[in-house]
Amino acid sequence: MKIFRIVGVSLGAVSKHKMRTFLIVLAIVVGIATLTVIVALTQGANKTILQRINNFGPDAVMIKSGGGRVLGPATVSEANLTKKDIADIESTDGVKLVSPIQVSLDMPIKYGNKFTTSWVFGVESSWQDAWRRGASKGEFISDSDNEQLSKVCVIGQTAAKDLFGDANPIGEDVMIENVSFKVVGILKKVGQSPVGTDFDNLILIPFTTASRRLMNQPRYISMARTIVYRPSQVKAVSEKIREILRENHHLAATEEDDFTITSPEEITKMIKSTSRTLTLFLWLVGIISPLVGGIVLMNIMLMAVSERKREIGLRRAVGAKQKHIVFQFLAESLALTFSGGFFGVIIGFVIAMAFSFFGKPISISWQPFAVAFIFSSLIGLFFGIYPARKAASLDPASALSQK
Amino acid sequence: MIEFKDVVKSFTSGAIKTEVLKGVSFKVNKGEFVSIMAPSGTGKTTLLNILGCLMKTTSGSYLFEDRDIETMNDDQLSEIRNKKIGFVFQTFNLLEKTSALDNVLLPLVYSDIYPADASQKAVRLLEAVGLKERIHYKPNELSGGQQQRVAIARALINDPAVILADEPTGNLDSASAKEIMEIFKSLHSQGRTIVVVTHDNNIARQAKRAIFLKDGKVEREEVLR
Repeated sequence: MKIFRIVGVSLGAVSKHKMRTFLIVLAIVVGIATLTVIVALTQGANKTILQRINNFGPDAVMIKSGGGRVLGPATVSEANLTKKDIADIESTDGVKLVSPIQVSLDMPIKYGNKFTTSWVFGVESSWQDAWRRGASKGEFISDSDNEQLSKVCVIGQTAAKDLFGDANPIGEDVMIENVSFKVVGILKKVGQSPVGTDFDNLILIPFTTASRRLMNQPRYISMARTIVYRPSQVKAVSEKIREILRENHHLAATEEDDFTITSPEEITKMIKSTSRTLTLFLWLVGIISPLVGGIVLMNIMLMAVSERKREIGLRRAVGAKQKHIVFQFLAESLALTFSGGFFGVIIGFVIAMAFSFFGKPISISWQPFAVAFIFSSLIGLFFGIYPARKAASLDPASALSQK
Repeated sequence: MIEFKDVVKSFTSGAIKTEVLKGVSFKVNKGEFVSIMAPSGTGKTTLLNILGCLMKTTSGSYLFEDRDIETMNDDQLSEIRNKKIGFVFQTFNLLEKTSALDNVLLPLVYSDIYPADASQKAVRLLEAVGLKERIHYKPNELSGGQQQRVAIARALINDPAVILADEPTGNLDSASAKEIMEIFKSLHSQGRTIVVVTHDNNIARQAKRAIFLKDGKVEREEVLR
C-alpha cells in the first residue's frame, strides 16, 4: 500500500531529524502533561464534591433557622423553629422522619488537662437514621437519655483523638462548658461535612439536655433534618415544608423566609459555583498549553519545509503527487504529536500521582487518555496542515533548484 | 517519442517579461541517445524542466509518446514523471541519511504497484552500476561518481521510457565523468532512450545526435556517429 510506504517515509524523517523531533515532542509533552494533570485534578475535585453531596444525602432536606443560609449550621442563638413546625413537617406527605437538632459551634471541651473546641449537637435517637450515622463503639443517645435529660455524650473521632489520644474514651467524663458529660459512645467516622468542615469534630448530647441544661434554648429549635421516602420527592417536599413554615411563622407575601431549606440540589449548585472559577481557569491553562505546543510544532515544521525544499522537489520529480507530500508532512506532524501525547499522558500521571501523594484528591481514569489522544491528533492536524500544504504547493522545478 | 513544436517559455517578474525559449522545435525518437547542447544561461534548465514535466510551456506543444503534456493536470504529470521519466541531476539529489538502496527505491514509494522483488531489482541495478559493495552506504559515505551512479540506478528502477540527465558530469572529475558517460552509452546500447542536457561540448559529442541551442532557439542539429 502506497499509504504505508509514505507513512514509512514520514517515520523515517522523524527518526532522522532527532533534534527537531525532540523539540516538537517536548513541546507537546509539556502541553499534554499539563492537560492530563488538570483533568486528573478537576476530576478528583469533582469526585470529592460528589462524595460531599453524598454525605449530605440524596433524600435529605435540611431546615435551618434564619433566612439566606445555604452553607453552615444554624445555632441556638438564632433558633426560630418551633415544636409545632417539627410536628407539621412530620405529618407532611412523603416525609419519612424529622430529626430536630440544637447546635452550638466551637464549644470548649475539657478532659483532665486536655482542651479542645468542637461542635456540639443536641439530638434525638432519630439522628442516627437521619444521618445514617451511629456509634461505631459504645452506644448512641437513647430516647430515655432524652426523657431524663441525661448528661451523656457520643464523641466524634477527631474530638476523641484530641482529648484522649489512643485511649478508650468510653466511660470517661468530659466537661462541655463546665458541665460534665459521660462518654457513652464513639461516632462513626465520615470525613468532611457537605460544607467542607471536619464532620468528625463533633459531640452529640441528648436534645433535651442541650435545650434546657447546656444551651438555654427551651423554646426554639436550631435545625431539623428531614428524610423523604424517595429522592425524587425532595423538591416537592421542600416546597411543601416552605409553605408550612411560612404559614406557621405568619410571614406576609412580601416578607422573605426566616428559615432556610437546603436540599442536595442546592448543595450541589453552591459547591459547584464556588469551584467553577478555579475549574474554568485550570481548563483554560490546560487548553492553552497544548495549543502553545501546537504553535511550536507549526513553527518547526515550517522551518523543516523550507529546509527540505530540495527533498520535496526531488520527491515531486520522481512522481510524488501533491497529496502525497501533504500526507507525508501531516503524518510526520501526527507521529510527533502522538508521541508527545503518549509521553505527556505518562508524565502527567506521574505528576498527578505526586499531587495525590501530597494529599490533593485526584482521579485516574480513561478520560485523560482520551483527551490527550484527541487533543494531540487535533493539534497534529490543525497545526500540521498548513506546513504540509505549503510543502505540497512548492513548485517542483524551483524546489529542486534550491541550494 | 518526444516532440517539441514551437515551444515558447517566458517568465514574468513584475512588469518585466523574459522570454527564455523562443520557439523550440525538435524530436527525440525511441531508443535514441541525444544531447542538447546549450551554453549556460540560454534556457537549458528551463528546457529540461519542461522536458521533465516539471514545468509547462507558455505556448507551443509538447507531445510525450503522442500525449499532449500541456493538457495534463498536476497528478497526471506526476504519474508521467514517476513511470516514464528517470531523472539524473548534476547535483545527484540523493536523500541524505538514506542508504543507496533506499535512494534507488524512492520512485517506487509513489508507484501504484510495488513489485515484490523491488529490493532485489534495486540491488541488481546498483550492481550494474558497480556499487555492489556499497548498497547500504549513505550519500555522505560515497564519492561524487558513486553518488551519481546511485542516481542512475534510481532513474532506472521504474523502467522509464526516457532517462533525462541534466549536466550529469558537471560536478565530477574527468575520470568519474568518463565512467558515467560509459554507463549511459551502455544503457543506450541496451535500447534505452537517453537525453543529456549539457553545456559541455565534449559530453554533448558522446551522444549519437546533438541539438545545439542558442538564444532560446535550436541553432542546428548534428548527427555525431
